[in-house]
Amino acid sequence: MKAIKNPLYFILGILVLISMASCEPKALTAEDVLVSSEEQLAQELVKENPNGYTIYNINDLLSQFMGEEGNFMSDSSLYRTRAYYDGLYLFSIDTLPTNGPGIYIRGRVVTDDYGGNFYKTLVIQQTKDWTTGADIDQQNLRISVDMGSAGGMFQQGQEIIIRCNGLAIGRYANQPQLCIPSNNNNIYASSATQKVGWAPGRIPSARFRKATRLIGAPDKSKLVYETLSLEDLDNKYLSKYEDVVGARKLDGRLVKITNVHFTNSLDSFGTEMQCHIYNVELSPVDGNPEEDQYAGTFGPTTGNVGYPQSRYVKDASETHKVLVSTSEYAKYAYYYLPAAKYVGSITGVLSYYMDNGNYAPDGGEWSISPNDMGDILPECQKEDADPRWIPTEWKKGTPQPEE
Amino acid sequence: MKNKLFSLMFVLAISLSAMAQTSLRGRVIDEATQTPIVGAKITLANQNISTTTNASGEFALLYLEAMDEEVIIEADGYVAGLEIVNLKENQSNQLEAISLQQDIVSQTESEILLNLTEEEMTDDEGRSQAQASSSSASTDVFNKTTSFGWSTARYRNRGYQSNAENYYIEGLHFNSMERGQFNYSAMGGLNDASRYKEVMNPMDATNFSFGGVGQSTNYLMGATRYAQGWKVGAAGTNRNYKARVNATYSSGLMPSGWAVAAQLAYRFSPYIDNKGIIGEGIKYYSLGYFLTAERVWDNARLKLITFGAPTERGQNAAVTQEVYDLTGSNYYNPYWGYQNGKVRNSRIVKSYDPTVIAAFEYKIDEQQNFKVAAGYHYSWYSNSALNYFNAPDPRPDYFRNLPSYMWDGQIANPNNETSAQQLFDENGAHYPWGLFVGKDMNGVPYGEGFIGHDGNIVGPSVDQDQYNQLVDLWKSRDNQTTQLDWDKIYAANIANNANDPTGSARYLVERRHNDIQEATASFNYVNTQFEHLKMTLGAEGKFAQGIHYKTIDDLLGGNQWIDIDAFADRDIKELASNSGFTQEDIANVRKNEIASDYNDVIKADGKRFGYDYRINMGNFKVWFQNEWNFNEVDLYYALALDYSSMQRTTNMLNGRAWYLTKVAEERTGAEAWRYYGNASYTRIKNAESAGTLRAGTNYAGDAHHFFDPAFKLGATYKINGRNHLKVNALAQTRAPFARDAYISQRVHDRVVSTIYTHDNAKNLKDFYAASEKIVSADLTYEFNYPIVRGRITGFFTQSWGGTELNGYYDDEARTFVNQAMTGIDKRYMGVEAAAAFQLGTYFTLTPVVSVGDYRYTSDAMAVSSAENGMPMTQDDVTKSLVFETTDKVLLKGLKLSTGPQVNASLKLSFFHPKMWFADITVNYHDWNYLSVAPSRRMQGLYTGVRADGTSVNGWFGDSYANAIETTDGRTVRFSMDGNGNVAYENAVLDKNGVPVLRYPYNIMTMQESIVATNPLNRFIIDASVGKLLYLPNRQSLSINLSVTNLTNNTHFKTGGYQQARLPRAVRQGEADYHNSVITANAWKYPSKYYYAWGVNFFLTLTYKF
Repeated sequence: MKAIKNPLYFILGILVLISMASCEPKALTAEDVLVSSEEQLAQELVKENPNGYTIYNINDLLSQFMGEEGNFMSDSSLYRTRAYYDGLYLFSIDTLPTNGPGIYIRGRVVTDDYGGNFYKTLVIQQTKDWTTGADIDQQNLRISVDMGSAGGMFQQGQEIIIRCNGLAIGRYANQPQLCIPSNNNNIYASSATQKVGWAPGRIPSARFRKATRLIGAPDKSKLVYETLSLEDLDNKYLSKYEDVVGARKLDGRLVKITNVHFTNSLDSFGTEMQCHIYNVELSPVDGNPEEDQYAGTFGPTTGNVGYPQSRYVKDASETHKVLVSTSEYAKYAYYYLPAAKYVGSITGVLSYYMDNGNYAPDGGEWSISPNDMGDILPECQKEDADPRWIPTEWKKGTPQPEE
Repeated sequence: MKNKLFSLMFVLAISLSAMAQTSLRGRVIDEATQTPIVGAKITLANQNISTTTNASGEFALLYLEAMDEEVIIEADGYVAGLEIVNLKENQSNQLEAISLQQDIVSQTESEILLNLTEEEMTDDEGRSQAQASSSSASTDVFNKTTSFGWSTARYRNRGYQSNAENYYIEGLHFNSMERGQFNYSAMGGLNDASRYKEVMNPMDATNFSFGGVGQSTNYLMGATRYAQGWKVGAAGTNRNYKARVNATYSSGLMPSGWAVAAQLAYRFSPYIDNKGIIGEGIKYYSLGYFLTAERVWDNARLKLITFGAPTERGQNAAVTQEVYDLTGSNYYNPYWGYQNGKVRNSRIVKSYDPTVIAAFEYKIDEQQNFKVAAGYHYSWYSNSALNYFNAPDPRPDYFRNLPSYMWDGQIANPNNETSAQQLFDENGAHYPWGLFVGKDMNGVPYGEGFIGHDGNIVGPSVDQDQYNQLVDLWKSRDNQTTQLDWDKIYAANIANNANDPTGSARYLVERRHNDIQEATASFNYVNTQFEHLKMTLGAEGKFAQGIHYKTIDDLLGGNQWIDIDAFADRDIKELASNSGFTQEDIANVRKNEIASDYNDVIKADGKRFGYDYRINMGNFKVWFQNEWNFNEVDLYYALALDYSSMQRTTNMLNGRAWYLTKVAEERTGAEAWRYYGNASYTRIKNAESAGTLRAGTNYAGDAHHFFDPAFKLGATYKINGRNHLKVNALAQTRAPFARDAYISQRVHDRVVSTIYTHDNAKNLKDFYAASEKIVSADLTYEFNYPIVRGRITGFFTQSWGGTELNGYYDDEARTFVNQAMTGIDKRYMGVEAAAAFQLGTYFTLTPVVSVGDYRYTSDAMAVSSAENGMPMTQDDVTKSLVFETTDKVLLKGLKLSTGPQVNASLKLSFFHPKMWFADITVNYHDWNYLSVAPSRRMQGLYTGVRADGTSVNGWFGDSYANAIETTDGRTVRFSMDGNGNVAYENAVLDKNGVPVLRYPYNIMTMQESIVATNPLNRFIIDASVGKLLYLPNRQSLSINLSVTNLTNNTHFKTGGYQQARLPRAVRQGEADYHNSVITANAWKYPSKYYYAWGVNFFLTLTYKF
């Protein structure tokens, strides 16, 4: 103990220790968290996959792995994939091998869930062939992921690459998607036993984060929109792919439909019907989006069932039409539909949803899902537009304004 | 030389006055250093007279009876001494210098304890892990043994919460006025500074303050108490910090009349990058300093004291049993993750509580003295947390990220092979049960399947292979799965910069500041001029200000943060017509659009955001105490009158406060702001119309005032010198703490309904209407023989009308809800007993037991409101929105979660005069209960109708069939009789006459025991061994090893809480406010727990010179 001649040395020692107190780790930069080059990506994938890997084009992945019936529970007599209808498998699940060579898909995120119209769903878009490097027509795929506000981590315009091993590829209501098998036992549904069964379900958040790399910074300008008139859409796609199987190939396509207007109408079991006008003096319920699913707003209540609400747009000929689809949880859900005099474009994801043959004997409907209000008649919302559409939100007790 | 002269004069002075009396004088010194021991307690066992030693270690006892007497000498940190003397009549009897040996075991224990008590863990919802009682009344066998031995189990004295215990420093009250607790981290690691204290048992006559229903502790920090010389020490441990070094110096009383002492203590641990060990993901740095100076005059002394301990430490969290099981560790900590390969914890507490105190004592004459003291401290306390906007919840243990979420609480019935819901794997075999679901709240699996409301058996909803893939990630402690994914969090912000450079960052680490500054003063006058009577008069005053705001700690690569409420932004429809609703500060911002130029853009520059409010508090107390001491009986009584006040002021007018006030105004007329308690509203409205509304102006809410009287009395009957009988009683009212008084204090000024606002107070009663009323009594038998001493005490305390605030995420309202409870009655009763047996020369055996029953004796009323301002429900008839619901909380009969209610221990201590120490303690704890979530016990959940008449959104499982609509349009669960009363014909009534639904009620309301199923796992064994080595020149070296939980019992839960969140699901096609279902799988949000650490050690090395 003689070493401690002067206790001040001891105190000095304490002070030296204090100076060694560590700070937080150094801040991360874009280079740390985003894949910055093709070389880096290749290096990482080689390291991750001792058995080799393939980056599939989306359509190749679907044609190679997605069977008509699916490999999961399709042949179980006791318990099977749900909703087989009239010779068509609206639901299917094909599990992808957990081990073996890496199975990747790569694309750019199309959706932005901040507007509330996409929930736990990402749509990615691929515009380049991964084997030849050539530009190709857009290929799109939905990804079902159990992550609220997924757009916060996987933002619109962000290019991502996903390792699909151990996940599944399947169809939910005829919409192809990357998923995992999940069983809906529907304990809270008082009817519709046909909804019970295996179906594509959401990929757990942690697994999706782990499977996914971000490539570069997001760039929305690189998203490809197919711009076409409603007549073109009808002739080129809708009428051509009216069959359920054919419709799958187009689901998820990013389109911009020009020169359309809303007609304040909706589809009721295959028949077009006019929306209800909200006039609280006549009825507190009719046209009230909190109570009436036929209200003249984009997405009135479904009573929390959660299916998207649809409203028609048409072109000048009034013969071609398509539905614009809005979730009741969307931020713009309770805004009144624009009057027919406002003519402009609609941008969104083309969808063909058919979950149950009973509901739609004609085989389902096409619709377009916008991200938010900015995708709806943006030309008419501009300050110099004539006529200018100023979106108005429904307000309880205040009658619907007349246009 | 001068020093000795001074001592001599002191002794002479006493001798003169003591002439011709039977008296005893002596001096107590440290055997190793030969320095005086100050504050040692000298007790004459037969005559039951005691005194303490002065700055020179001297004592004098006058007016004694001549007899053979045992003199017991006790001092903190020393082994008690015993001397036999023959007191000769009318003589001044003199004892040789009594040297006491250091008790290095208890010194280490107090050091560990000090560390333990500052480890208050707070989670998102403001809950804290129960603190252990910390005070050890050094001479009381019970307290001495329990304070350390039972701290592992978070034993709390008599089952009281920590705000029942009062802490003083040199007579100044140091409990926070806002929360009622003492802040131990203020003295982080300063074991020497906090060594000397007076600890008074509940309701004993107290000479430094009125005290209260719990123990009172007065820390004594005068410089003369510290032994002259240097002391340096080092310690190693595997607890939250890993090492400690410290140095203490004391000058002793110098010839100038001054004494100075100082301590420096540094405790540290770098980030622990090992999974599955104590402190994983935690760093710890704390530097404690302490400086005290004392000037001694003949009849006065002045003490100047300052101390503080800047501390930075990482936190950990309670998690569900599933997570403990998956990770295989009780030390799993969800708060950290890797950043650039290095550990980073998102929850870093920074605290620093610099304190200055001046105390002056003056002896007016032999019979009168007074003390005045004043102190000030500013407590910086902040903790950081990840926040996010429009981005995924980053918490790894978020329930949706766990394997159990894939099952969603649903289980198959393996016995029913014919069910269409039965699930088979591809080989036709049954899928196994879920690993964690399908168990009741004590982890016991249900014997039978779960039956849905339609009678179908519910099967699992997940593919086993997918489930296992997630389980494997957890079991392998995959970094991205089980810890924070800092890379993806940064990436979200960096990507957002590219997409929307002026937009709000998606993630940030924010720092939540809860500072408090307090100025306090006290006065204490003692008069003993009347024979047998000691009169004490005291006054205490305090001004305090709680300061609450947020700043940005780290934008995590983001450009800026935009200050809006994320929940409000997500949930509130009709934003356009409710301008400013989402905004945290309406004065800055008048628009709702995120991209608006008006938004308050925050960068990491220390600017406050989110909320910025203060609670100003004042307190003034006078008290008076008379103590009579006679040969056979001592008596005392004390009276106190306490005034306190509180007022919230804010620098930000929250958009939701503004909106809610407007709603209230529209509904109830111009005076509506009164209803909302938002006094600032009119002022702001006026400012707005005058165009002078601007940011940063301070708006004051209503002031609230409380008057609280208190009375206590007690008597000691001395059967003989060795056997005493004591009785104490107390009655008082106690104002609510500011923390509990405001129903949503981050948003607006509104207080709980029991608190008057000055316009409607009509009489004196209104000033304590909101106060908790408390009565308490205890009866003690004390015995003191050479071979055994100890006591047995029975106690009873009842309180009425308590107030408590809880916050939680509500699945029904889908937002954070504040729940203010009033009218809480509690009862505490029990027996505590301890005895120390001297077994021969070397051994002492100490059995200690405490058996209590601490419970709620009433239901409470709760007001619930959403922090984001969204409506809680909708009126059935008028369809108007209801922003606050009032309902009864069924608490009656439940146990309090203030630690184990049955505790017992047996301690064997060994002391060898060659300065070897060792002890081993076996502790047993039982009757330990988890705190209940009031949200699960709302009457409305079981009857369908809240106390305020609104109906509850949702029902449990099979009760759906019984729901009917009444004539006035209400939907209720049970049919009505002819008079419109609920008939409850299908219901089972609980003991309070409240209808219950058997199955879900049992699950939802069963109070969970946290006691280990196997009785062997209710034991904790501690041991320690030490050696003190005397070196030449009055130097000494001591080494001590203390091992806690020797048998590595990893099944011992110390606390936790029931998650308040209720599972909710929507009945498809039928859902609005009334048709959501609170599902019967109540275990979807299972309880979270804290576990006691497994085996852990504390090794100290101390060198004195």
